[in-house]
Amino acid sequence: MAGIARLTDYLWQYWRRYLLGGLCLVGTTSLLMLVPWWVRGAIDVIERGDPHSELGGYVLWIALAAIGGGLLRGVSRSIIFNAGRNVEYDIRNDLFAHLEKLPLGYYQSQRTGDLMSRAINDINAVRQLLGPGFLNLVNTPLYFVYAAVFMFAMNVQLTVAVAACLTLLALVFRQFRGRIQRASLRVQRQMSRMSAHVQENLSGMHVVKAYVQAEPQTGRFTELNEEYQGRSMDLARCRGMINPLMVALHGLTVLVVLWYGGWLTIRDQTGVADLVAFILYLNVLAWPMAAFGWMISLIERGRAAMERLEEVFEVEPAIADPERPVPLTDRERGIEFDNVSFAYNGDGKREPVLRDISFQVPPGRKLAIVGRTGSGKSTLTHLIPRLHDVTSGAIRLGGVDIRSLPLEELRGAIGYAPQDPFLFSTSIQENLKFGDAEASEQEVRRVLDVADLESEVEVFPDGLDTRVGERGITLSGGQKQRATLARAILADPELLILDDCLSSVDSQTEQRILHGFESVLKDKTCIVISHRMAVISQADEILVLEDGRIVERGNHESLLRAGGVYAQMYRRQQMSDELDEI
Amino acid sequence: MARAPGNIAARNAREEQETVAGKAYDVELARRLWRFIRPHRKVFFLSALLLPVHQVFNLVQPLLLKAGFDAVAAGDGVTLLTTGVLFGVALLAEAVAFFFQYYLSMLVAQRCLADLRVKVFSHVQRLPMSYFDRNPVGRVMTRMTTDVEVLQEMFAAGAMNLVADLVLIVAIVTIMMSLHPGLALVSLAMMPFLLLGINVFRLKARQTYRLIRTRIARVNAYLGEAIPGMAVIQLFNRQERSFEEFDDLNRSHRDAIRRSNVYEASLFSMVEAAGSLSIALLLWYGGGEVLQGIVSIGTFVAFSEYIRRLFVPLRDFSNKYAVIQAAMTAAERIFELLDTPVERPGRSATPDPAPAPAAASPAVGLASGVPGPAVIQPSRGAVEFDDVWFSYRPNDPVLKGVSFRIEPGERVAVIGATGSGKTTTIKLMSRFYDVDGGAVRVGGRDVREWDLDALRRHMGVVLQDVFLFSGDILSNLKLGNPDVSKDRVRAALRNANAEGFVRRLPGGLQAPVRERGNNLSAGQRQLLALVRMFVVDPEILVLDEATSSVDTETEFLVQGAFEKIMANRTCLVIAHRLSTIRNADRIVVFHRGVIREMGSHAELMEKGGVYYRLHQLQFQGEGAAAAAPGTGDAAAVD
Repeated sequence: MAGIARLTDYLWQYWRRYLLGGLCLVGTTSLLMLVPWWVRGAIDVIERGDPHSELGGYVLWIALAAIGGGLLRGVSRSIIFNAGRNVEYDIRNDLFAHLEKLPLGYYQSQRTGDLMSRAINDINAVRQLLGPGFLNLVNTPLYFVYAAVFMFAMNVQLTVAVAACLTLLALVFRQFRGRIQRASLRVQRQMSRMSAHVQENLSGMHVVKAYVQAEPQTGRFTELNEEYQGRSMDLARCRGMINPLMVALHGLTVLVVLWYGGWLTIRDQTGVADLVAFILYLNVLAWPMAAFGWMISLIERGRAAMERLEEVFEVEPAIADPERPVPLTDRERGIEFDNVSFAYNGDGKREPVLRDISFQVPPGRKLAIVGRTGSGKSTLTHLIPRLHDVTSGAIRLGGVDIRSLPLEELRGAIGYAPQDPFLFSTSIQENLKFGDAEASEQEVRRVLDVADLESEVEVFPDGLDTRVGERGITLSGGQKQRATLARAILADPELLILDDCLSSVDSQTEQRILHGFESVLKDKTCIVISHRMAVISQADEILVLEDGRIVERGNHESLLRAGGVYAQMYRRQQMSDELDEI
Repeated sequence: MARAPGNIAARNAREEQETVAGKAYDVELARRLWRFIRPHRKVFFLSALLLPVHQVFNLVQPLLLKAGFDAVAAGDGVTLLTTGVLFGVALLAEAVAFFFQYYLSMLVAQRCLADLRVKVFSHVQRLPMSYFDRNPVGRVMTRMTTDVEVLQEMFAAGAMNLVADLVLIVAIVTIMMSLHPGLALVSLAMMPFLLLGINVFRLKARQTYRLIRTRIARVNAYLGEAIPGMAVIQLFNRQERSFEEFDDLNRSHRDAIRRSNVYEASLFSMVEAAGSLSIALLLWYGGGEVLQGIVSIGTFVAFSEYIRRLFVPLRDFSNKYAVIQAAMTAAERIFELLDTPVERPGRSATPDPAPAPAAASPAVGLASGVPGPAVIQPSRGAVEFDDVWFSYRPNDPVLKGVSFRIEPGERVAVIGATGSGKTTTIKLMSRFYDVDGGAVRVGGRDVREWDLDALRRHMGVVLQDVFLFSGDILSNLKLGNPDVSKDRVRAALRNANAEGFVRRLPGGLQAPVRERGNNLSAGQRQLLALVRMFVVDPEILVLDEATSSVDTETEFLVQGAFEKIMANRTCLVIAHRLSTIRNADRIVVFHRGVIREMGSHAELMEKGGVYYRLHQLQFQGEGAAAAAPGTGDAAAVD
């Protein structure tokens, strides 16, 4: 029920509006409920055969109540619905801000489509609860209370009889609430499963096409869709029963008034005017009763949605600023791994990906990491900007544990060019400025030049302002990688991490980039992952990783002399090259 | 999506113009929607038939109430009893008809929307790649989920009953007129004002609803990108700016909705006020007649009941209209998507023309699950680029008159700088895109004349970005083909030397693969992509830098297996490392969209052109730091 607590917090923020809207609602309801009372007076006048003038008074009152009530109704609906929209807007913003704090590990365990469905559909359901839902939650009891009071004032016996019928309402409510709740939860779950499938299918469209996967993919979707259809019909059956039941229940009260009230009238225990007023009061109750089923599902959907949102909200950002952050000073920014181990704790029993990693990179030196696929190289670099936190051991930047540094400063000090280049669907310039929002066009051009991308951007239709497709889809793999490299350089960090970021770039271009790089790298600390000996061999120190452990370390010459894994790797590449010569 | 805050106002203004321009295609849309209802028309009509039944039982109730009140006034207990019984019967009949009417209409809704979803999904599978370049995943998703949901709401809200509501209003007016024309006219005095109000509302709300939908789609698209890209946002401390961008989109959505709220509230309150005013008029006019005994109290009660029934559909109009409006916008977008031309059949008129004479084997469209025949027919695997021109964007050609031929069983390596057009050749071969000029021929036939599925099954492509589907390793290797046996997968793993790697994964072949293969490294994904090729066993093999991220160690293992799978197969390899292409029969050197050189390694080295220089550079780079050059012999490698 933590979701409901969060919801009330949001409601509190707009308590003034809700209060004002609620007051208008009370006003309009009061006026509306006075109308049958005056009608009763008018009929009394008519029954008694009194002069027209008194009737005119009642008619005038009713007309004024109608106009005043109408105005207040409009105001109250606008205020309350808009307050609901404000909360929707706030929750969506807060959810986004919360998502921004969650670490990479969270996204690796979640489906994008599912998160999107929460941010759009679930928040929408919550908004319904806070707008129309709130309005009716206030309105409906008010109607019943007013009706009870006025009816009671007219005739106690008849009121009791009507009230007896209405207790059946509680029964219907009890019966259906749980069922609708469960059914709509099942519908929503299936909906997010379907969304997730669609999301994945769309992201992998090139594979779907290349491997002619349209049919199996559609088949899977059809299965999900059929399940969704079945679940929706379960829900429709519940909802479909509620409305006719409520209509019948309302009719039953009218019947009671007619029969019992008629009998009382015939025996002169009440007047026809009272009977008419009873019918009119029941008329007012007709709509809230008919809307009962809708209300229940609105509330249940809203609550279920809020719980689903809460599932996201309650995920503590595992990686956050320390309580007492140590500011990053100007001290030398060497990096040190002290007995670091790491395991993805997603499912507990996962084996550690990195074990007992210790090394030091003094300021301004270069470290290269090599190792076979899956040996843990990328994971190791993820630990430095705290995309993941170490499981044990510590990483220090300039002698300070990175977990005591403010996240923003830590990440600001690091330029990271990832293995999978990710660009956003905006202009090339905007993408590069991720590194430094204030960068001038000149600086942007300079880093493009370093990444050997300037001449290519030059011929794009809009130059720097050319938009790249989603995830940079309109660029070639090599262009994307070089753009992400340029982005990292633009940030002008002290520590540069290159995670095999030139793998899609041809060697000639790579050579040019590396050449231009020297000036950039000059006094920067640098960690490079690569498979290319040309890059690795120039490092001050080389680590060879295998199964998450460092199996060899040293510089190029010493490793070659040692004749271990590295020397073997090197020799194989050499051999390949020599074969090229033949 | 203009991101700079300054552009927001301009964008919103532009949006509004667009929405005003968006004309009412409602009739056309309804016609198209009908096509989805048609298969379920029996249920639909049954539900439609129950609607008047339900209403008749509802409309008879005020008349019975009148009879009851008249009986009370006359002190006639027996008549009161019988009318009461009749009232109860009408009530019960109404409720039963109501339930079945609603249930059946939801059945129709669910069935035809399920059909629609599948139709949209399978249509999207056939859209050309260029469509996905232009449309973010989030936007397409909105079409397929949210928009269809909105259509469902239209059914659920009974918005389809809008026509029936009209009949209801006419019926009520008729009954009232027959009861007492004078009272009827007085009761209806407010109607003209209401109709006017509804019309104003309809015009105003129409634009706003469109606006709302455009804007929520933007929010969706933004999320669709920000969520997978969150690590990048965090690495560059962009949280605040991204938040601002998101806030902009979120806010503009909220503002659009605010306007619609005000319209809706005005209409609702107007209808409600008119209801009470009508009662006042009824009393004022009818009071005298009751006095004179012309009109009974029972008639008055019946009139007040009819007025309520008259105003309910009017009051709900705003809701129903909103729902219908949203549904129409949604339908329009969905149909727009369905109208987007698919890849097939391309230029040729028939989707699957008679096979070209040389490739006249029935095995052309063979499922990928069947191993290639032992004997390869002469032109089976031939690939030909004939003066091909292509550009992703207008006036920015990526390929400028490229011509080359790959003979069956020949291995051709394509090299060149990034952006020189190498990857594009693959995309044209698999017909992800169509050429602007010239032709690409596979097996002697223009790719545009091939059955698209057959063409793609004909070749195995390993792309730069390896994409895995969530599921497990096995399902990714089998790729939805249930005919692939586990033994065959194991054999493929053996051939690709990936057995050890898979065994080390927790769960082996059953090891879970998360969305996009997130929980595997790029190298691991590439290895799996290679294994896939061994499973698929295609006749033409296309490799785009497939080994570039796999470390030397793994690559070395894979190389031998490659030799095996490439034997007797037509191959096109795009690689940057000379070691990968050293065994190619022919090398094609691309430079800025044109072929600069073509020939065998020896020929090109002798020629001393671009390839020679490229080769020198690569060797110098990799050999520069060589302190102890290896002395391995060729036999050890092969």
